[in-house]
Parts: sequence; C-alpha cells; structure tokens
Amino acid sequence: MFRGKGWFSGSLWKPKNPHSLEQLKYLYHLFSKNQVVTEQNKALLVETLRSIAEILIWGDQNDSTVFDFFLEKNMLSFFLQIMKQKCGRYVCIQLLQTLNILFENIRNETSLYYLLSNNHVNSIIVHKFDFSDEEVMAYYISFLKTLSLKLNPHTVNFFYNEHTNDFPLYTEAIKFFNHGESMVRIAVRTLTLNVFKVQDRAMLKFIRNKTAAPYFSNLVWFIGNHVLELDNCVRMVTEYQSRLPDFVAEHLDHLHYLNDILCLHIDDLNDVLTDHFLNSLLVPLYVFSLTKRRRHSQTEDDKPHVSSVVSLFLLSQVFLIISHQPLVRQLAHTILNKDMTIFTSKPREEVAAHGGNVNTEPGFVAPQETLEKLLENQIHAKSKHMFTKSSESSSMSLDDQTLEPPEEGDVSRPPSQDMTSDSSLQHDTKDEEQESLSECSIALQSNGTNITDEEKAVAAHKLSQSALEHLQQEFSLSNRPFLEAIFNALECTENDHAALFALCLLYALGHNAAGINQDLLDTVLMPTDKSETKQLYNINLVERLIKIIIQSCQYNSRIRLATLEMSILLVKQLVLKDGYSFLQDRHLAAIEQAREESTLLLRNFYKSEEIFLDMFEDEYHEMKKRPLNVEYLMMDDKLLLPPTGTPMSGVEFHKRLPCGEVERARRAIRVFFILRDLSLSLQGEVETQLPLTNTANCIKMNEVLDLTNFPDNSDLIACTVLTKNGEKIRRFMVIDILQLILVQPDTKKLGWGVAKFVGFLQDIEVAGDKDDSRCLHLTVHRPASSAGATAGNGRTPLLAARFVFDDHIRCMAAKQRLTKGRLKARQRKLHQIARLLELPEHIQPCPSPLRQGLHVIRDTDNPSVIHRSQSQDTGFHSKASSSSGSQGPYRPLFISTNRVPGFATMMKREQNSLPSSIQHESSGGERQRRPSGSPSSQRHSSIPRSRDSSPRQQRNSSSEEIPLEDLSKSRSRHSSPNLKRQSASGLPKARISAPPNISLIPVFSGHATISSHSGRLTDDTGKIDTKLAAELGCKNHIVDSLQEIPVPKSLRPAEIPSVSLVTGSLSEDVPHLLPQLHAQDGDIIQSVSGSDSEMDSPSEMCTKPCCMNETSFTEKQLLAALDKTRIDDQQLMSEETSLNLSEGLCHHSSAAAEIVSSSEAPQKAGSVKKNNTVNKGAVHTV
Amino acid sequence: MSYAYLFKYIIIGDTGVGKSCLLLQFTDKRFQPVHDLTIGVEFGARMITIDGKQIKLQIWDTAGQEAFRSITRSYYRGAAGALLVYDITRRDTFNHLTTWLEDARQHSNSNMVIMLIGNKNDLESRREVKKEEGEAFAREHGLIFMETSAKTAANVEEAFINTAKEIYEKIQEGVFDINNEANGIKIGPQHLPTNSNLPSGGQYSSSNQGGGCC
Repeated sequence: MFRGKGWFSGSLWKPKNPHSLEQLKYLYHLFSKNQVVTEQNKALLVETLRSIAEILIWGDQNDSTVFDFFLEKNMLSFFLQIMKQKCGRYVCIQLLQTLNILFENIRNETSLYYLLSNNHVNSIIVHKFDFSDEEVMAYYISFLKTLSLKLNPHTVNFFYNEHTNDFPLYTEAIKFFNHGESMVRIAVRTLTLNVFKVQDRAMLKFIRNKTAAPYFSNLVWFIGNHVLELDNCVRMVTEYQSRLPDFVAEHLDHLHYLNDILCLHIDDLNDVLTDHFLNSLLVPLYVFSLTKRRRHSQTEDDKPHVSSVVSLFLLSQVFLIISHQPLVRQLAHTILNKDMTIFTSKPREEVAAHGGNVNTEPGFVAPQETLEKLLENQIHAKSKHMFTKSSESSSMSLDDQTLEPPEEGDVSRPPSQDMTSDSSLQHDTKDEEQESLSECSIALQSNGTNITDEEKAVAAHKLSQSALEHLQQEFSLSNRPFLEAIFNALECTENDHAALFALCLLYALGHNAAGINQDLLDTVLMPTDKSETKQLYNINLVERLIKIIIQSCQYNSRIRLATLEMSILLVKQLVLKDGYSFLQDRHLAAIEQAREESTLLLRNFYKSEEIFLDMFEDEYHEMKKRPLNVEYLMMDDKLLLPPTGTPMSGVEFHKRLPCGEVERARRAIRVFFILRDLSLSLQGEVETQLPLTNTANCIKMNEVLDLTNFPDNSDLIACTVLTKNGEKIRRFMVIDILQLILVQPDTKKLGWGVAKFVGFLQDIEVAGDKDDSRCLHLTVHRPASSAGATAGNGRTPLLAARFVFDDHIRCMAAKQRLTKGRLKARQRKLHQIARLLELPEHIQPCPSPLRQGLHVIRDTDNPSVIHRSQSQDTGFHSKASSSSGSQGPYRPLFISTNRVPGFATMMKREQNSLPSSIQHESSGGERQRRPSGSPSSQRHSSIPRSRDSSPRQQRNSSSEEIPLEDLSKSRSRHSSPNLKRQSASGLPKARISAPPNISLIPVFSGHATISSHSGRLTDDTGKIDTKLAAELGCKNHIVDSLQEIPVPKSLRPAEIPSVSLVTGSLSEDVPHLLPQLHAQDGDIIQSVSGSDSEMDSPSEMCTKPCCMNETSFTEKQLLAALDKTRIDDQQLMSEETSLNLSEGLCHHSSAAAEIVSSSEAPQKAGSVKKNNTVNKGAVHTV
Repeated sequence: MSYAYLFKYIIIGDTGVGKSCLLLQFTDKRFQPVHDLTIGVEFGARMITIDGKQIKLQIWDTAGQEAFRSITRSYYRGAAGALLVYDITRRDTFNHLTTWLEDARQHSNSNMVIMLIGNKNDLESRREVKKEEGEAFAREHGLIFMETSAKTAANVEEAFINTAKEIYEKIQEGVFDINNEANGIKIGPQHLPTNSNLPSGGQYSSSNQGGGCC
C-alpha cells in the first residue's frame, strides 16, 4: 500500500505528457496494482478512471496505438472488477462517467466495435447498481441512453444476442419506464425510440414477441393512472389543482410518445401497441367515461372512470395527435357507432376461438404482473410453446417476412398485410352489426387469405347515396350512447364547459385526415374536406351548432369566444366545400339571424369614443393575427376548470367570459367579426370592408410621391424634425387623408418627394411647446395592426420627435391640420364601422341635415369650403382650435374644432318605439332620431342640434342636473368653459347644454363661409339659449369627456350605456341637437331634430364619415372622470362643451359651438362599482 | 452529499456548439483544456454553494433527441434552467436561436430561467457574431447573457452559477412551486418536512452506502 502510494506520487513513473501511450501504460500499472478497492485507494482509482477516459479520447483522435493497448490489456475488465466489489457511489459514479465519456466521444468506428466486442458492456448494463441513489441512477440511465444513440444495424448485434434472446440494453432500461424522476423516464423513452428505430428484423421480432405486451400493458396502465389523477385534480378544488398543468402536459407527453412509436411504422409492434392502447385504455376508460354525465352513469359505477368533460378533452387530444390509421379508425368507429354492449364481456371461449389476443377485451385493469416479472417470464421461457397464441401467430408472420429479402433498411409492412388491415377495418366500420372490438385486431393478424371476402363485404356495405339520404332523415342517436353523449355536451344550458371540448372532439374527428376515412364519418353524416359533396349533413348536429351560435350573440351569453369559433369551424367543416355552401336554407336563415343579432349586440356598444375605434381595430388584428389553433387550445389545462370570467385567472380573453363593460364590448366586436366572416363565407362573398384601413391604398415608406398633385403648396409644411437621439432632419410634412407623411424632395424630379416616414393620423398625438411657439411635440403611436405593437418593444411609438417650423403661424397651421386630420381620419373610420353595423342612412336614405354638410365637405369643387380634394381642411385653421391647443398640453387633440354634428343622423335608422322623450335617454350607445311627432322630438327639433348620448337617463333626472353643474365646473380647469347645463324642462332625461361660445369662433375667417348658415345658426342659438340656458364660458372647444359606464349586470342589453359622443360641428353644419336614443327591441330610431324642419339646412347633408362625431376621450380623461366621481361620490358628473369650428372656415357670426354634456349618475345597483348614467346633450350654438 | 435544493438544467442549441463540452468543463474541471481534444458528456452533476446553501446542479444534455417530438417536449418541462448555447464562430447557430427559444418557451414552464451563451469566445479571430448582438438578443428576449469558452473555461462557472442564482432568487420570491418536482427543482432529503409521500425514498441510502461498503 505504502509503496503503491509512492508510485502514484512518484514522478519517475508518471509520464510528463498526460496524452501519450506511456500515460496509459502507467494507468494500467496502477490498475493492476490496485485491483481491490479499499478506502485508501479509492481516490486513486477515481483519478485513474478519469484519466483513462481522457487518454482514450485523445488516443481515438490522435494515436491508434493507445486504443490498441487498452484492448490488448483488456482494461475494460478492470472496470467490471471494480464494479463487482461494493465500491460505493464515489467510484461507481466515476466509472459510469468514464464510460459515458468514452462512448459519447469515440468517433472511430473500429474503436467502438472493439470496445463493444467482448461482452463487458452488457455485463456492466446488467450490473445491479444502487439505483436508489439518484446520482447513480442518473449516470446509469445516461450511460444507457448514450449507448442507444450508438445503435445502428451493425452495432445492434453487440447488444442484442439472437441466440440467447438477450437484449439487456433495452430490457434493463424499460424497467425504469415509470421511474419517479421525470428525466429518467425521458431517457428511457429516448432509448426505446432509438432502439425501435434500428431496422433489424431479428431484434424487432424479439422486441415484439418478448417485450411488447409486457411493456405496453404496463405503460398503458401507467398512463391510465395518470389520467385518473388528472381527473381527481379537476374534481377537487384543492391545492392539488396546481398540479393540473403537469398532468395535462404529462398526458400530452404520453400521447406524443405513443405517436412517435406508431410513426416509426413497425407494424407488428404497432399492432400490439394499438391493441393495448385501445382496449386497455382508450375504450374502457376514455370512451366509457363519455357517458358519465347522464343516462348510463348509474350502471357500473364501480368501474374506474373520469368525468365526461375530462374524457372529451382527452379524446380530443388523442384525435389531434395520433394519426395511426388502425387505431384512430377503430376508436372513431367505437365512438360513433357502438353502444354499451362492448363493455359486457364476451364469453372467454369466443375470444379464444378466434385465437384472440389475451388483452382484446376492453377493460382498464392492472397488468397481472409487474413489468420486470413479465419480462423475466417472457424472456427466460426457453421454448416457444410457452408463448401466448398471439405472439406465436405474429412471430410466424415475422418469420415469413424475414424470409423475404429485406428491402433496403425498410421495415414497412408488406402490401398484403396492409390491405388486410385496411379492409378489415373498413369492414368493421361499415358493418352496423355489433362486432366485437377484438375482431379488428384479430383480423389485423390474420394472414390475408380472406381479402376478397372482406372487399366484397365492403362493397356491399358501402353506403349508397340513397342510403345516406335515408340516414339523414332517420338519423338517430339511440344505440349510439357515446355519440349521444357528445351531442348532449353541446347543450349549453349552464355553461359551455363541456361543449367546447365536444366541439373540439368532433372537429378533430373530421380533421384527422390521415387516419379516419370518410366512409366512417358518413355513417353519422359528418362530411369533411375529404367528402366530394356535402349535400347531406347531420341536421341534428348542425342545429345544435347553430343554437350555440345564436346563444353567443346574446348580451349575457355564457358562450366563450373559443366555443363560438369552434362551432363555426365545425359548421364550415360540415357544409362548406370549395367555397360553396351546402347549408339548407332554413339553417342559413338561422345563421343570418344570428349575424343580425350580433350586429345589434355590437350597436349597443358603438360609441364614438376614441377607445372604441382602437378596440375595434385592435380586436380585428388580434383575430387575424392569431387564428384559433385547436391543437393549442386542447393543450390548455385551464380549460378543464369551469369557465371563468375574471382576467385574474390568467386565462386568455377568448377562453373565458368577459369581465366588465369594456370586455363585453370587446367580445361583442369579436362575435360580430366572427359571424360576419361566417355569413360571408357561407354566401361565397369576399370581405371588402375589413380591415378598416386598406393598406394597399396607403403610402409606404420610401415611396416616391408626386407632390405636384397638391395644388396648394401650403399643404407641404417645411419643418425640422428633432428626434430623441439628437438627429436633426429637414422634411416636408404632408397630411393625407389617413396618413401623415414626411417627405424629402426627390433630387431627380422636381416637385416629387420621397416618403421618409409614414404614420397614421389616427395614431398621432400633438402638443405645443410652451417655450417655443414654433415648435410641436409629435408622437406617432404604432397602429394596433403592426407586429411590433404587442411584441417585446411594447408600445414604443413609431416616432416621437420635436418638430420645428419656420414660424409660429406655420406651426399653428401644422398643428391644426394634424389635429383635424386626426379627427377626420378617425371619423372616417367610425363611419365605416357604422356602415358595417348597418347603422342607417345607407339603407334608408333620409335626407338628414347632415347629409348636406357632408356633401359640402366632400365636394371639393365647392370653393367656399374646400380647396383640396384630399386634404380639404388643411388650409383652414380656426383660431379657436389653435388656441385650444395651447390650453393644455395634455389634450391638444381632443379639441373638437371640427366636430361634425352629424353623428346622430347615422343612427337614424332605428326607430324608437318608446314614447318620445324618455326613450332617447335610454339609448345605450345608439342614437336615434326621434319620431318627429313626439313631444320630445318636437322640442328637439326646435333645437337645432344636440346630442344625447347618454344611456339611462331615465333615472333620476333631478339628481343628474345638479352634479352636472358641479362637474362642469370641475372640468373647467381644462380650459373648458363653465357650462351650465340644464335639462330641457320638457325632456326629462336629456340634458342639453348650450355653450356660449361665440368667443371661440372669432378667429380666422380667412376662408369663405357659407352665409346661409348664419341665419340658421343664430336661430338655433336662440332656441338653445331659451330652452337650455346653457352657458359656455370657454373660448375653446372642449371636448367633453368622460364616459365609461359600468353597467349593472342586470341591465338588458338595450340599457347598456353608451359612451357619450361629442359632436363636432363644422361650420357648414348647422348645429343640431341630436339626442342619443337607444333602440329598443329593434325599433328604428328616427331622427328627431331633424328630419323635416331642417331638411334644407346645409348641415343636413352631412352624413359622411367626416361628419361623424368624435369623442376625444382618452383613457386619461376617462380615469380622471372616474376619479372625480369617486371623489365626490355624487351622482352626476361631467360636462363638457365643445365648440365646433367650421371645417375650413370660421366666421364670427356662425361658429358652431357644441356642448356635450355628460352626466353620470352612478346607480348603485348591487355591488357593482359604479353605474353611471351619462346624459349628453349637445347643443351647437352659433 | 446532502443538499438544500437540486436544480435540473438542460442544455440546448445546435449541434457542435459545444454543449457537452461546457457541461463537462463545469462538472469536471479536472479535464484539462487541451488543444485538439474535445471531450463532452451528456450528463453531469455538481454541487455549488449559493447564499450559504448547498445546491446540486444536474445538467442533462438533450443531444440526439431532436427527432422525437415527445422527447423534446418533456425535456423542457422537467427543467428549472436552460442554457441556450450558440457558437460565436458560426452565424447560423446564432440565427437558430429564435427557433430554440420558441420551442423552449412553448414547452417549458414559464418560470424556467434561460441563459444565453455564446460559446467558443477563445476563437476571437474566427468570430462571426459580435458580443453586442448576443447582448441585444438576450435583452430583447429577457435572457441572461454571457460569452464563454469551454476550452479555456472562461465564464463557464459563472454561466451555470448565475443561472442557479437566478433560480434561487425565484424560489425566494416564491415564484417557483418547489413542491412540484415537475418544475425541475427538488428539495434536498434533509429539507423535507417528512419523507412520507415521496415515491423514491432513495436519497438517504446513497450516503449510507457510501459509508458502509468500503
């Protein structure tokens, strides 16, 4: 011992170069001196083992004599020797690591063969290490995995011994298939797949005959128990639930693993796997549990089962992931056509008579023995007579195959067998007689002598067209308990929890293109993309789907968006073929009806609030960007818990119910999009109106523009752009209809320019600079559609820069045009939305006052109003608006200089059935024209324009009035005028405030005005004053504020408060009082103020987008408003006035001021935070 | 050999970027970095100390599994930390990072700490990917970043240990559910309240055996 130590440390013996043959010789010497492991030489041995790995790898790469020496001296046997002594984990681990390193790093094939050639490696594999030590276990299994990566048709024979029927690498590894440590299980699975992948017939035969049944039966049992645990998790709302995601992911892992095996197309192996998977797990547990909701639940409750929701979920996963034909076909057939008799045991003899497999009778039962025992029995059975019949028969077929010349590395099944299995399955499928499941697998194993018979049977059973027609009429769910259970799950009485999964399952059935054939689906009339025609479909199913669709269009629907989308996917799958719909008329009508409903639902939310437009576009892009992915959907464990409404659950929006009014609006928008899309596809039409921005028409970056088109050079405002990072660029600003463009003059063509920056006007934010009157702060936000908007860079603006103009006049001009451009861009879009919602005049061309106004605006040839065709307004700036800009940096854009009072007319179409005055108050977001005959309408009509956007004004008019005043005062800090608003006496709920804003109007009259206005406007003013006695104390336009009204849950949809609108009035428009009314029960709103008396006023023409009202609420304001309510907790709130300056012109006498007043009366309905009623009256005064 | 926590790591990245070498360099420093000799290994374990606590790192290389979807899926899920490695001398390995990351994000639990590693920074002359690019990528995707060399051992310790620190912090913050082993974190044997419901009671025997047999 002492001497040994001396050698070790002695430099005499230790070569200086650690990488040399001498080094290995030295190590050999150490080994031979220390053949007995003792406490003392342990460290030395470990170091020796480590060095051996190093020198061998070096030798492999540099010097072949090293390896020769290693083999010559049979050094691997030292390893075994050491191992066999109880050497302890320290040495064991080093030993295993050295082996790992050795096998992982050896590149020289010959070296590898030498290492493997004497049976040492197998001896190491079967050595019983201390597997309770997690580190030993980890090194050991890594070692096996490393070896499995070295497997190929040549090396496999070092591991699999055909004569002794021994394959320790595989059999030892699979004993750990259910090890507690997931990494170990993964390694085992990797190893098995690596083994199966090797195309060696003898080896595969061994695997099939000796190990497949034991392994797969145990594996399936293991999976089944996981599923039961998963079900427990779902049932028990306990701390266990945190493990639910793992169970779901684990189940997916299992399915993917089985699928990976099946995809290797080793048919003999797949038959066994399919048999176990189907008959020991899928049918007896998954399919059986489908019925656990209703009828059959009382019977056989002792059998293990999971809840039907879980089984629907799991089965969807199966069909989404696995495509192995025999398996999915058989499973689908069972679900679609079989009944409970499959669970009543057949007499054992019958199975036996068929020479059946041991395990073909469906039943979820534990394997009789552990895997280890089973393997032992199988492998060590010396002669074939011990085998089960099934393995014998298959081994026969394998023998047959091996006689054939093996195709180059191909293990795929011979064609004859292919046909056999196919035809037998089809036969089974077609045959409505109850065939036992076992027959399928039996047929699979049969030798194919009866192919012709089978084929005949198939032909005979092939469902003819007439038979299908008959089926459509006679289709019944009786005798189809499983399918019936699925259909019943589509019933969304309480919620759509199970319905979503049922939809996914049906979808997956139809979508499993590789596996399930159409003939099978035809037995239940489920056409898919594979069908030639979809003339005949399952009416029962389609009607259930339509019911879900209709339900989802209701205000308080319990249907989640994902469920709706799935229903629609399924409808399309059932009836759409190459863009042609086979949907029967009555069903189509029902869907159209639903679409109408969805439109009505969305109208309730239609607001001209800024955020509505943003939401609308955002939802659209969100929907387009991320279409529903069913496979991902079925990976979400959260769906297993009952549907929730709170975002705090972390569930994505489309997978839960909406929470709060904003989300309800979002949902309504989505439902609208989805149904619109469905309706268009069913009618074979192409979407032309969405998205709102047609990017094809937009100017792109670096596009060369002909700026000579712009007749007036004032449209090009020269400016210097100072970016945050200090860049200073000279540009010309062009304001198009939708876009802001910064151009650089084109050096080659005079008058042309290159677009160096483009941004949407609707996304800009302008602020003046209080220190520099020539300077503007401009921020262009990213549009919702842009990819970057939601990605990592968050909401970083597209451009945030300071713009310096030549002088303050130009600066002001730019500001005005930007502001106005923004408003108009937004109005245009809102108008588009209105058209989508079929809000109004387009259908019922009613000559509203706005119409004319619109005309004026649009008509570029009206010299007095507009100069330029596209950027008509840009040349005109009202002083008012510019001054408003200076009012407050925070809301420069909200100044509604160009509010168009046309908004109300858009709503005209709806008629209010409620008697008069009250109704218009109730409008939730819809503006109506009141019947002119009604008292209120008369009032209104006498008042030129006002807008009443507040919903629910019917409550408490008195209470509203007071706070309104308060609010208006409080608001005045924003430069807003002190308004007084009073409700019109005759109008109980509508508040109209008239801003005395003439002061605003002064300003620039640089352009022609429409003289005709003035008279009218004055009249109006007079009326307003008398009636409303509202005052305006401000000089500027103010946009009113505030909306956001939480609605009590109990409200009917019709009562949903809308956000108030601010009407912008252009000077060419005559101000109008346009109360906002809510449509009830689909009544049509009629324009009150309007219609008759004011027909000839110019403003009547204004119906176009640019005349739309726009509210300019920002969230900030909104919050501020809410804060306010909180602060004084008074019922009424807010009031805003806005003055509208003429579009392009201002004239002293006829400026339009508009006040939109909004009042909110929180109605404490229940515990809901705040229920506010907003009353809005808008009056334009001149 | 007792420990307070065990963290499971995986190493991902294109083949040939030096994953297994990094692993071996970290777990067994005795392998001298020698010219012309690359040695790697697919599994390794090592004890480190953080905040006075013994922490065992188990590192599983995922090499060779790419062919099977079921395997990659499960590997990601079982890990608390991942080293995403590219080779600074091969631009393509850097370009593939996005794919790797997507995979990792999709399959792993959301708390998994991912460290981006630009390996082989000893080969400065053949560098194709600038350090700044790696930094930018890491910043953009919220990863920790480091350049290492498995050959010179530069930063190898730091890479593994910093990742462990991050995981440890997350545990302290309560982000990780340490009782759920599926997260790739295990509490050491002596730290278990009781050993009642653990399937594998094997943690003790190792030390017993180690002491007993020789």
